[in-house]
Formats: sequence, C-alpha cells, structure tokens
Amino acid sequence: MSEATAAGGADRWPEELFTDLVGDRAAEWDRTGRIPLDTLRGLGAKGLLCAQVPAAHGGLAFSSRRNGELTAHVGALCSSLRSVMTSQGMAAWTLRRLAGAGQQAALVPRLTGGELAAVAFSEAGAGSDLSALRTRITRDGDEVVVDGAKVWTTNAAYADLLVVFGRTEDGAGAVVVPATALGVRIERITDPLGCRAAGHADIRLDGVRLPADALLDGVDRTPALLVTTALSYGRMSVAWGCTGILRGCLTAAARHANAREQFGVRLAEHQLVARHLAELLIAEQGASRACEHASELWDEGSPDMVTAAVLAKHVAATGAARGAARAVQVLASAGSRDGHTVARAHRDAKLMEIIEGSSEICELMLARHALATAG
Amino acid sequence: MTQTSDQAGSAAGTGQDAPGIADELLGFLAARTKSTWEHDQDLFAVGGMSSLFAMQLVVHLEKTYGVTISGADLMLDNFRTVDAMVRLVHKLGGSRASAGATAGE
Repeated sequence: MSEATAAGGADRWPEELFTDLVGDRAAEWDRTGRIPLDTLRGLGAKGLLCAQVPAAHGGLAFSSRRNGELTAHVGALCSSLRSVMTSQGMAAWTLRRLAGAGQQAALVPRLTGGELAAVAFSEAGAGSDLSALRTRITRDGDEVVVDGAKVWTTNAAYADLLVVFGRTEDGAGAVVVPATALGVRIERITDPLGCRAAGHADIRLDGVRLPADALLDGVDRTPALLVTTALSYGRMSVAWGCTGILRGCLTAAARHANAREQFGVRLAEHQLVARHLAELLIAEQGASRACEHASELWDEGSPDMVTAAVLAKHVAATGAARGAARAVQVLASAGSRDGHTVARAHRDAKLMEIIEGSSEICELMLARHALATAG
Repeated sequence: MTQTSDQAGSAAGTGQDAPGIADELLGFLAARTKSTWEHDQDLFAVGGMSSLFAMQLVVHLEKTYGVTISGADLMLDNFRTVDAMVRLVHKLGGSRASAGATAGE
C-alpha cells in the first residue's frame, strides 16, 4: 500500500511541479497578460509543454491519456499556461506528421529543449474556412519566400518558432519560420477576452526568405488533411484543458457553497444553489469520460479517435463555458473580480468554444459523421 | 472475382497481398459507411467523405499495416481510392504481420 502510494506520488511529479510553479500567480498573469518567459522556457526544457514527444526527440513519451491528465491539471490552475501547452504540443505534433524524418530530427528536439513554438492557421479572411488561406509560400531557387498575415495565433508572442500554414504553388503546406527572421513582425493582442497571458498575437510576414527545407515535406493539393491532422492534437488538448476548467470551477463552487451561510443555512442547502453544484459535477464527469475515451482510442491507434477528439472537445468546451457561468453565479461577488479562478474560467472557457473548431463547426462535423455512418 | 485492368495494373501488380489489402479496405469502408464502394471510386468526390474521414483512413492504415504515414505521404490523393491506399501500403512496406510491432502514439 505504502509502496503503491509512493509510486503514485512519483508519477505525479509533473503535476506537483506545475502546482508549485503556478502557486497563486495565475491571477497576476491574467491581470498583466504575461507569464514570465523564463518560466515557460524552464517548463519547455523539461519537455512538459509537449509531453507526448518520443524519447528519441528528447520528449517524455507520455501517452495521450497521461498527457491529458497533466493538461487538465494545468487547465484547472491557469488556462493561459495550458493554452501555451496546447500550442507547443500542436507544433510538435504537426512536425511529427508533416515533417520529413530529417526535418523532425532537426526541429522537434528544439521544442523539448526550451524553445517555444506556435502554429499559425487563422487569417482575417480564413477562420473556420481554412480553404481560404491567402498566406503564400513561394519557392525561389534554394529558398522559400513567405508573405501573408496571420491573426490570433496563440503563444506567438512568446514563440521562437512559428509553424505557418499557407498556399504553395502546388497547393498547401506549412513552413517553419524563426520569429527573428527578417520580415516577421509579431504584434501581441493586448486585450483578449480570455486566456489573457497565452501570448495571442497577430503575425505579419513580408518577403520572409528561408532555406527551402523550412517548408515541411507534407504538401497537399488542399490544406484539408494537413490542417485536420494538426488540429486533432489541439482538440484533444483543449478538451482536457476544459475538463480542468470544470474541475477548478466545481471545487471553487462546492467550497464556497459549503462555507457561506445565507438565510441562516449553508448556501449548499438552498436547492437552487445545489442544482448548480450537481450540474457542475455532471459536466465535469461527462467531459472527463469523453476525454478519457478519446485518449484511449488515440493511444490504441484506433481510427475512431478522430471523431472522438471532436466530440470530446465539443462536450468539454461547451460544458466548461456553461459550468464556469454557473460557478460565477454560485460565488457571486466573491468570484466577480478579474483574476479569480471562476472569473478567469468564465472568460477563458468562452474562448474555448471558438478555437480549434468552433462549437458550430464541431456540431457540423459530428452531424456529418452521423450522416456518413448511417448508411 | 473480376478485376479491371486498372486494378491489375496498380494494385495487384505490386505484391501478392494486394487483393487482401484491397478487400480489407473495402470491408472497412463498408462497415464505416454502411454502403459499398468500388476499388477505384473517389471517396472524396462531391457528396463523399470529409477530411476527418481521411484522417481516420490514415490511422486505420497505420494500425492495420504497421506503417507510419507522415511527411510527403500525408496527402489526400493517397487516400482518394482503395487502389491508392493499397499502393501507399506497399510503398511503405506495410503488412498485417508488421502491424503488431508498432504501438499507438
């Protein structure tokens, strides 16, 4: 028994490290819109921001399930930091899928060595419809030239490397752009609704010249499969992160309802308040099961992981948005200042209904799946 | 079984296991979509499958034939028809025997 407990404790070292590191600073990061760069680099150098990277590339080789539990833990502490993990992990995953062997060997270890990365999809005219991408990646002898403008790229304000999706002469692809390359301008978004310290930024790319092998080997006639592949990781990560938001909200609401008295009894004894707690628990459990299921399919290599990831993202993000609103309602004035766990959750969860496939896009994909499999 | 010259030229010619792979894939498609497909039918033509389904095919091929599909191989045309998928599996040296050796991600 004691041995099992000790083993369990040792296995939880990443969670304990994040708990110690975040401490009570999530509120300050939210208010200032900044996580110290040293903090992010330190986590990155331990492989904790993209923990599914294989050992051969310096990674921790976590399963999807194990990384998911860690992601939920961080999501309960600070969704900005969790968003940084989502971006770093999605960059690593995109490289593993779209990069050739030589490109992977050169680039992936940098993401476990302390460098930070962002994946740039969205443009002013291409949000849900990524077939409308206009960023151009043009071959010019031994070089490629990148021109375009990306918006709302998570983690870009911290990033050393930008994985930029765009159009090539033949179709679509992704190019790895050093943030310091000539012609790159990164403009931090200073007033995001949520995940305020996640380093959201707009990116301008003007005649950025890079060696030809900066263009990843995965080039297709359309961006559809490339983007779907990259987003699958992001959806899993957002789903687990939203499960974490729900866990944070459930704990905060239950503690408050237990401790505070009104009309001579504990808040929890008021039935309308108790219902909020029940709904939070239902949402947290539902999101947990959807995430566990999707991660198990991912780890088995089952093709069902693809739709399971969309479903988990949708269940968790919509559940977190509604759950966070309930938690604010339970805590009322005690949770109504910027920086508070439930106030942050309320703003952060709303953004999670928008990124990595909006709720509406998820519903369309799930409906299409239902139609395609009905016969 | 009758074979069209196209199948004979593309899939069956590349290895003795080709009809087996094609049959397995046609079975996978039928089970998933509850409708039947031809080995040379474009799965992604108008009204066909989505890019989400294409990724399911990527994962299915990896799991079933023990291959890794990444980099230049990750293009929709490689999954557009059963014949194309058979060619891809052969190119990557995949077989059911080698599938057990590779775990999931």
